[in-house]
Amino acid sequence: MTLKAPALMIMMALPVVAQTPGSYVLQNARVVRVSGPVIERGTVVIRDGLIDAVGENVAAPAGAWVIDCQGLTVYPGLIDALSRWGLPSESEGRGGPPARGPEDRPLNASWTKAADQIVPTDRVIQRVRDAGFTTAVVFPNGNIFSGQGSVIDLAGDRAGRMVVADSVGQYVTLRTSGGRGFPASLLGSIAYVRQIYLDADNYQAAKAIYEKHPQGLPRPAYDRALEGVLAAPLVLLPAEQEIEIARMLTLARDLKRKVVLYGGHEAGRGIDLLKQAQTPVLVSLKFPVKPRDADPAEEEPLRVLEFRDKAPSAAGALAQAGVKFAFYSDGVTNPKDLFRAVRKAVEAGLKADDATRAMTLAPAEIYGVADRLGSIEKGKIANLVVADGDLFAEKTKVKYTFVDGAKFEPLAEEPAQRPAARNSAR
Amino acid sequence: MKVLLLLAALGNGAVFGADAPVLIQNATILTVTNGTVKGSILLENGKIAAIGERVAAPAGSTIVDGSGKYVMPGIIDCHSHIMVDAINEGSVSVSSMVQMSDVLDPEDIAIYRALAGGVTTANILHGSANPIGGQTLVMKMRWGRNAEEMKLEGAMPGIKFALGENPKRRGNGPGNPGALRYPATRMGVEDVIREAFTEAKAYKAKWDDYKAKTARGEPALPPARDLKLEPLVEVLEGKRLVHAHCYRQDEILMLLRVADEFGFKIRTLQHALEAYKVAPEILAHGAGVSTFADWWAYKIEAEDAIPYNAAILTRKGVVVSLNSDDPELIRHLDKEAAKTLKYGGLSETEALSLITINPAKQLMIDKRVGSLEVGKDADVLLYDGHPLSNLSKVLKVWIDGHEYFDRDQDIEGRPKKEAEKKALEKKAAGARGGETE
Amino acid sequence: MKALLILLLPLGLFAADDSFLLRGATVHTMNGTEIENGSVLVRGGKIAGVGKNLAAPKDTKVIDGKGLHVYPGMIDAATEVGLVEVNSLRETNDTTEIGRFNPQLVALTAVNPSSEHIPVTRANGITTVATMPQGPLISGQVSLIHLDGWTTEEMGVSRTAALHLRMPFVQVGGRGGPEREPPGSGASSPDTFTGARQTFEKQMAELNEFFESARRYKQAKEAHAAEFKVDLKLEAMIPVLDQKEPILVTAIREREIRDALAFADKQKVKIILCEAPEAYKVTKEIKAHNVPVILGPTLELPLDEDDPYDRTYTTPADLQKAGVRFAIGTFAGTANLSSRNLPYQAAQAVAFGLPHDEALRAITKNAAEIWGIGDRLGTIEEGKWADLMVTDGDPLEAKTQVRLLFIKGKPVDLDNRQKQLYEKYRNRP
Repeated sequence: MTLKAPALMIMMALPVVAQTPGSYVLQNARVVRVSGPVIERGTVVIRDGLIDAVGENVAAPAGAWVIDCQGLTVYPGLIDALSRWGLPSESEGRGGPPARGPEDRPLNASWTKAADQIVPTDRVIQRVRDAGFTTAVVFPNGNIFSGQGSVIDLAGDRAGRMVVADSVGQYVTLRTSGGRGFPASLLGSIAYVRQIYLDADNYQAAKAIYEKHPQGLPRPAYDRALEGVLAAPLVLLPAEQEIEIARMLTLARDLKRKVVLYGGHEAGRGIDLLKQAQTPVLVSLKFPVKPRDADPAEEEPLRVLEFRDKAPSAAGALAQAGVKFAFYSDGVTNPKDLFRAVRKAVEAGLKADDATRAMTLAPAEIYGVADRLGSIEKGKIANLVVADGDLFAEKTKVKYTFVDGAKFEPLAEEPAQRPAARNSAR
Repeated sequence: MKVLLLLAALGNGAVFGADAPVLIQNATILTVTNGTVKGSILLENGKIAAIGERVAAPAGSTIVDGSGKYVMPGIIDCHSHIMVDAINEGSVSVSSMVQMSDVLDPEDIAIYRALAGGVTTANILHGSANPIGGQTLVMKMRWGRNAEEMKLEGAMPGIKFALGENPKRRGNGPGNPGALRYPATRMGVEDVIREAFTEAKAYKAKWDDYKAKTARGEPALPPARDLKLEPLVEVLEGKRLVHAHCYRQDEILMLLRVADEFGFKIRTLQHALEAYKVAPEILAHGAGVSTFADWWAYKIEAEDAIPYNAAILTRKGVVVSLNSDDPELIRHLDKEAAKTLKYGGLSETEALSLITINPAKQLMIDKRVGSLEVGKDADVLLYDGHPLSNLSKVLKVWIDGHEYFDRDQDIEGRPKKEAEKKALEKKAAGARGGETE
Repeated sequence: MKALLILLLPLGLFAADDSFLLRGATVHTMNGTEIENGSVLVRGGKIAGVGKNLAAPKDTKVIDGKGLHVYPGMIDAATEVGLVEVNSLRETNDTTEIGRFNPQLVALTAVNPSSEHIPVTRANGITTVATMPQGPLISGQVSLIHLDGWTTEEMGVSRTAALHLRMPFVQVGGRGGPEREPPGSGASSPDTFTGARQTFEKQMAELNEFFESARRYKQAKEAHAAEFKVDLKLEAMIPVLDQKEPILVTAIREREIRDALAFADKQKVKIILCEAPEAYKVTKEIKAHNVPVILGPTLELPLDEDDPYDRTYTTPADLQKAGVRFAIGTFAGTANLSSRNLPYQAAQAVAFGLPHDEALRAITKNAAEIWGIGDRLGTIEEGKWADLMVTDGDPLEAKTQVRLLFIKGKPVDLDNRQKQLYEKYRNRP
C-alpha cells in the first residue's frame, strides 16, 4: 500500500464524519457495476469524489492511494429508497383547530423538504454506512402531505454537502386526524388527496393565466400547500396489501401524476395491475410477522397467514414481471435485519442480481438520479462499498465504504460515544 | 380459492370467464314478476336464457337437479356497509367529497357470508354520521374478484343523506361548544342540507358562467373544482340517486319538501321506520322506502317502529324493500321478508319482491336484476325449500351465470383449508425459530 | 279480522272461574306425544287434563281449536326483557350496576312491568323469560318472569334463579370482532399474552378468594360465631355454595368454557354455561360434567374469519348429537335482538341440521328444566301450569300467527302498541 504519510496522519486526527476525498485506486477487485456485467478482476479509480475510471486494465493515477482488493468485491453504495436516516425523530402534525375540510389544509406540510431537516450527526448514519449504505432518500413524516424527499449521501458534517437532490417526491400517507376534524377516516384522507391535486392543477393554471394577462382578473391566492405538491415530480402513495395497490392505482389515475407505491408486500397478488400501470414499487424490508407473545389460542385468518408467507416473494414477482422496484428500510435501523430480509427475498425467488439492483440502480432510476448514482460508471458519484463477499450474506464483512469519494472503515464494534473513539492505530 | 383476473376493458357489462351453460331442472321457480313455474331455467352467457316447463340443455351444459328445490332471483340488499375499510367521514357536516369506491375491500369475509345467505347485489352506503354523507355504489357479490370487477356496471351512483339522531350526535357533546360539530338539532339537519344545495346551485352557476365566458373567448379564471359540491350538482341534475337515512315522519316530510323545493328527488328513504305514517306523501313524491322487517327500540326515534311498516306502505302503493344495514342480518333477508307474511299479511310474491324486484327498481337496476326473466342477469338462487320458510336454506348461488357459492363445495373444502392453515402456521413457526429480532 | 274475534271471545267470557277446555286442536305436549284432535283442560291455572276428546266438565268454557295447534308457552332462556327499554338511552337501562362483586342484586327488582317489550314479546307466544343483570364479573341474580302480571310480584316465576358470572378471560390488547366485551371493563388490556395472562390470573384469584370468603361467612353464620355480622353480598352466596342455586356462567371461547368447568369443580358449585358459542369444541367435557348450556342466538356472526359460515347455525345440532342438554336464548336487550324472534333462532338451527322437535324443546321443555322450573312449566302435562300458546301453524315459521296465549290459565292480551299503530295508520285516509 503506498501512502501519502503526512496526509494520512492528518486524516487520522480529524473527526470521522468528514474526510477530505482523495484519490483512491481499488485494484484486483471483483467489480459489480450493476449497469453492466461483473468485472471479475478490475480496477476502480476514485478522484475528487467521483468515479474517474472503471475497467479491467486501468492505470493508477500518480499519488493515488492504492488499495489491493484481492478477494474483495466492490458494489455501488447501497441506497435506502424511503428513509428516515439522518432525520430527527418523527414529529406529529401540528395541532390547531379541527379542520372543516380540505380547504383548511389539515395535516399538510407539503412545502417542507427533508434536505432542510438533516441531522448530520445522527448515529444511525455511521451504523448503516458501515454496512454499505452510502445514500438514503429521506422524507419528512407525520402528516398526510408530509413533505418533499431528498436524496442524501450518508457522510458529511454539513447538511448541504450531503444533499444530492433536494426534492424528488412528495411523501403522502393516508393517516387521519385522530378524531380532531377532517379527515377522520380513510374515506376523508383519500378524498383530501384528490382535492389537493385538483386544487394544485387549478392553481397552476390560474397562475399561468393571471401571469399572462393580470388585468381584469382577480389574483389567485398564494397557497404554499399547493406550491409544495407542485414542486415534487413524484407522489409516493402507501400500498401494502393488494386491495391498497388497486386503490392507489385508481387514485393515481385521478391525480394524473407519476406515482410510486411504497409498502409492496402483496405486490405478488397485484402483479397484473402493477404491470399494466408500470408504477414503480418501493418494497419494505420489514416483512410482516406474527406479533411476539401473542395469544396462542387466537385464530389467525388464512388470509393473514398467506399475506405473511408471500411477503418475501413480492420482490421476485416484481422482478419477473419487469416492474421497477427498490427496497427500503421502513424504520429498521439495524442493517443486519435489512440484509436478512433481502436474503429471505432471494430465498423466495428473487435473483441475487435483482436484489443488488433493488438497492442501487433501481432507486436511483426511480428518483431520477441514475445519471449520478446507483452504479459503478465513470463520472458518477463515488459511492461504493468494498466487502469480502456477497454483500447480503450473513458472514460478509464490509472493508470500506466510500461516500462522495471519502473513505470510511467500519469499526469492529459500535463506537462507545464520541467519533474520536475511533481506532486510529492503522 | 381466489382467482384474480386481469382487468381488460370493463364497462360493457363484462361477463367473466366463459362459464358453461347451467340448466336447473325440475324445480319450483319463483320468478317474482311472472308467477311460479314448475320446470327448468337455463343460464347462458351470463344471462337467463330460458324458463319453462321443459327447457332443452345446450351441449356442454352443467345440469343441476332441482327436484324438490326452489329457485328465486338473487337477493338485493339496499343498505349495506360491508366490504369497506371505513364507513363514516364524520368530522364534517357535509362529506359528499368522499367515495365508498375509494375504500372497497373485496376480501371482506362478510361478502362470502352474505352470498351464502342468497345476497347477490348490495347497495354499499356511507354511514349516517352526517346530514350529507359520501358517494355510494352498487356492488355484486362476485366473491374472488377484485373491487373493480365487483361493481355493478352502469348502475347509477348514489349519495347518502342522514336525518335524525345520528347526524346530531357530534353536535351534542361531549366537548366544549366551540369544538362541537353542527348540527345539534333536527332544525340544524335541515339547515345543513339547504345550505349545501344552495352552495351547489351557486357552484353550478359559477361553472356555467365560466364555460360561457371561455366560449365567448373572454379571459376567465377557471373556478376551483370542489369535489364536495360536484356530487350535489349531479343530484340536482338527476344523475345521482339520493338514499336518505331517516326515522320520524316529520323529518321524512321535511326532506321531501326540501327536495321538491330544490328540484330533485329522494330516491329511497332508508330505515324510515315511521314512513307508514306518511305513506301518501311519500307516494306523491315518488320516493321508495327501504326498511327493516321488525327492528325497534334501539333508539328513541325508533320508538314507533312497527313490523307492519312494509305492509302498510306496500298497500298504499309505495315501492318497499327490506334491508339489513348489518353484516349479520344480510345473511337472512329471506327470513326477514317472511315476517311480512305475519305482520300485515303480504302475499308470498309481495314478500319476495321486497328483497328482489323492489330494491332493483329503487336502485334503477331492474332491467338487469331483481326477477327471473329471460334476458336478465343470471343471478339465481337454489334453495332446499321455499325461501320464505325458516326451515330452508340456500344451496347454490349464481351471479352472471357463474357459480359463486355451493354449500356442498364449501363443506368439502373445509378440511383442506384447515390443513393449509396448519401448514402455514408450522412453516412460520419454524422460520421464527431462527430469528434474533 | 278472524284472529281478532277469536281473541276477543275468550277475554269476554272469562270471569272469576278461569277454567276452560281447549278442544279439537293438535296438541304438542313437548313431552314426546302429539295429539291430533286433542284437548287440554285447564282449571285453577293448572293443566287438569290432556288427551283426545276430553269431556268438558260442567260450567266450563269450551274453546274451539279446530285447525289450530297448542304448544307450551315458549321460554326465552336468556334476555334483558324488562331491564332495558331503549338501547341508546342510559336512563332506561337497569342491567349493569357498578362493581365487580354484586351477588346480592336481583334482576326482578328492576323489571319494569310496563315495559312495551312485554306485550310485544308475548304477542309471538313467549310466556316466560329469564332476565339477567350484566357486569364485568358477578353482576347479580337472574330472575324468571312471566310476561303478564299487574306487578313484578305477580310476574315473578323464580326471583333468584341463578347467579350471573361473567367468566374472567385472557384478553390481549383491545380485541375487536363479534364477541361481546364485558361492559364496564374500561381499562385497556396488556398488549402481550404474558401480561394479559397475569391480569387474568389476578382476576381468577380475586374470584376464588371471594368464594372462599363466602364459605368462611357461611361457616361463621352456621356456628353462630361471636363476631358474625350480616353481609348482604356473602349472604346471597349461601344458596350457591349449597348448590341450591346454580351459577349462570357466561363463557365465550373454548378456554373460558374449560376454565368455567374447572372453576365449578374447584368451588363445588352447579353451573349453567351461557352463550358458549364454542361449546361445540368442548362437548365431551361439558357432558362429563353434566352441565347444561343456554346457547346464544344462532342468528349471530361466527367468531372468527375462517369459521364455517354456518358455524352458529350448526352448534345446536352439534350439542344435541353429543348429548349435551341445551336451550336457546335470544339475549334480547342491549344487544338489540328481539325476544319475540326466539322461535326463529331455533328455526335456523333446524334448517342446518337440528331435528324439528329438538328445536321446539330447546325453547320450551329444555329451557324450563335447565332453569329448574321443569316441574311447573315447559310441557303440556297434567299438574303443570297452564302456560299455553295456540297457533295456526308451526311456531318456527314466520307466517304463523299466535291466536291465543295463556299464562297460568289466564288469557293474555295479545294486543300491543305496535298493533295499535298499525290499525291507526293503515286507516289514515
